[in-house]
Amino acid sequence: MSSFAIVDSSVHRDLTVNTNRGAAFGDNLMFTMTYPMEFRDIQSCYPIFFSKDPETGQFYPVALLGFEEQSNLFLNGDQWEATYIPMTIRRQPFLIGFQPDPEKGDGATKPVVSIDMDSPRVTRNDGEALFNEDGKPTDFLQKTIGTLEAIHHGLEHNKGFVAALLEKELLESFTLEITLNDGSNNKLMGFYTIAEEKLQSLDGETLEKFNAQGYLQSIYMAMASFSRIRPMIDKKNAALD
Amino acid sequence: MNHNINRIVIVGGGTAGWLSAGIIAAEHRVAAESADHSFQLTLVESPDIPTIGVGEGTWPSMRSTLQKMGISETDFFRECSASFKQGTLFKGWRSGNDDSYCHPFSAPHGYTEINLAPHWQASRDQIGFADAVSPQSVLFADRQAPKQISTPEYAFNVNYGYHLDAGKFAEFLRKHCVEKLGVTHIKANVLGINSAENGDIASIDTDSHGTIEGNLFVDCSGQRSMLLGDHFGIPVLSKNTVLFNNTALAAQIPYDSDSDPIESCTLSTAQSAGWIWDIGLPTRRGIGHVYSSDHNTEDRASEELLSYIAKTVSKKAAAAATMRKVQFSPGHRAKFWHKNCVAIGMSAGFIEPLEASALVLVELSAGMIAEQLPANRDVMDLVAKRFNDKFLYRWDRIIEFLKLHYILSHRQDSAYWRDNHAPSSIPDNLRDLVELWRHQSPWHRDTVNADEMFPSASFQYVLYGMDFETQPSQTLRRSELTAQSQAQTLFRENAQRRAQLQSSMPTNRDLINKIHTYGFQKI
Repeated sequence: MSSFAIVDSSVHRDLTVNTNRGAAFGDNLMFTMTYPMEFRDIQSCYPIFFSKDPETGQFYPVALLGFEEQSNLFLNGDQWEATYIPMTIRRQPFLIGFQPDPEKGDGATKPVVSIDMDSPRVTRNDGEALFNEDGKPTDFLQKTIGTLEAIHHGLEHNKGFVAALLEKELLESFTLEITLNDGSNNKLMGFYTIAEEKLQSLDGETLEKFNAQGYLQSIYMAMASFSRIRPMIDKKNAALD
Repeated sequence: MNHNINRIVIVGGGTAGWLSAGIIAAEHRVAAESADHSFQLTLVESPDIPTIGVGEGTWPSMRSTLQKMGISETDFFRECSASFKQGTLFKGWRSGNDDSYCHPFSAPHGYTEINLAPHWQASRDQIGFADAVSPQSVLFADRQAPKQISTPEYAFNVNYGYHLDAGKFAEFLRKHCVEKLGVTHIKANVLGINSAENGDIASIDTDSHGTIEGNLFVDCSGQRSMLLGDHFGIPVLSKNTVLFNNTALAAQIPYDSDSDPIESCTLSTAQSAGWIWDIGLPTRRGIGHVYSSDHNTEDRASEELLSYIAKTVSKKAAAAATMRKVQFSPGHRAKFWHKNCVAIGMSAGFIEPLEASALVLVELSAGMIAEQLPANRDVMDLVAKRFNDKFLYRWDRIIEFLKLHYILSHRQDSAYWRDNHAPSSIPDNLRDLVELWRHQSPWHRDTVNADEMFPSASFQYVLYGMDFETQPSQTLRRSELTAQSQAQTLFRENAQRRAQLQSSMPTNRDLINKIHTYGFQKI
């Protein structure tokens, strides 16, 4: 369960956030949402695929962390073994919430920083404080707000990116068949990837447009990220021994 | 005279006209300008005659029909007030006392390999046939959908067709046909028909668009059948000695609230001299009573309908209901394609909508015209003969299948149900089949053609839903030994699949709301 509260210096003066890694903190994820603005870092560690939100059917890019539910191959006890940790992981237990904006009125909303009070990361004496003794946001909170803002823009960017991919039919479903050293055959299904043949037949006008919007770079980074599958299989095999 | 057949004129709009136009234009490249190789498709629609708007239920075939026309399923749902139909729930057909059974669209589990019907017999007292062999019927009770919002358009978790608003559907198809498929739309009244020397229709005269020539005329003018009936005098073969229903009272009933559940199957509830359909759209329910005027008065029929509405919707809804009366003579034309004229829709024939055969016949008729479009006038007669043979056969099968619902009933509570058992009212072929099925259950080789309207699965659902008994075989087949354990595995798998669907499928209402908000993905 989650129960989100808007972060408030008077209410949350004593709150601290545990920034350690571990399954107990909900880090044991098979995949997590990502955004083109961090694709360069993501593709150096994780494969980038596309997944559908089961509640809306809408596509979004994801960084693959494991081959089955509740299995993050990069998580080793309290260590996250990668040079880059996705923004959606780092933001925990914070989230962008929206509340009515009285200045703009007319149903307008403004983003506010919220915190999941039920998260095991939320403590009173163990970890990073949100506010200084004088009630000012700490560097930690400032950095978190920066991440949340980036995610906020990333969500908007994803919408345009995905819509452009769909319009040009550049996404296709795929099945990854993995044979492990113990001879077991495993199938990874339900993800989508760039349709390379379609990409190669794109007309110049579209390519120019995609280039100007930055989509072209994101597309090629997603494709290049495929090479990260092999090290994940190696990790999986290593765990068998 | 060896003209290419490249100018098709459809007379009549409505769902039959526009669906036919869309199906033909999806197959043939229609070009408005007249080049030598051009193909023109014109639909002439009277601005004065309202469409009758029958047929609000489809078969699953409508999915591929729409997809082939290049229609987005999301647009279709949004603009035609469409909802999911997963089959029919028959109520009161066996005894009239609270009995019911499902005829789902999905075939029995393992249907291509093994006939589960004989294996189900042993447990028939514990579980209904559809529940034992199909995962789908579990979704009827809680009005669940056949797929999720993340399922791509036209794809499914379990097979489905649609319920739709026929008026909106015709308008939606018109727009698509004209804007995307190159169909020419002319709003005019037909004043006269001009014959060619060989007796073909050469052209039609209209009040506002002069004379329109064509080399194939499609009659979608409704019950009147302006071309095939009025002009060519092809008679209707009445089927009223087999199927007695000839009158319908139709009402449109609003929901109490926007969040009321939407049924995910057609409800068909037997009455004293007919039955009531109940079709759930997102915006309203279409509820109607189709009955035999020889067995019931309009007053009594309307009373039964209002009592149904009062019971299943509310007394308030019943008090506010207005009814529209439609009379029809059950039957079909002696032939459908004569010279260069072919009838589709109500101009070809009409019977009670017990198995929603109206729209699927339009799809099949237009589909055959699109596929077998004669290259020239010389071969048209050959194509026409094949068309007539095929559709006469199909009408016979539909009529038999509908009649089957009546003769399996144990109801004796009115002359209507008793008359339905009169041997003189039962087609010979149907009588023979029922006799056969007392000793063996319906299976693939019962059927004559590869493209039968009703597969043996449909007969199984109706027969065993209606408690029909097939005697177990007295001898043991070699295949039985392995089949027995295979059947048990399939029953088990089906039960698992039911549980899995029940826990994962959204309600019809939820999914339709999501289609309106997010739409389906194409992949």
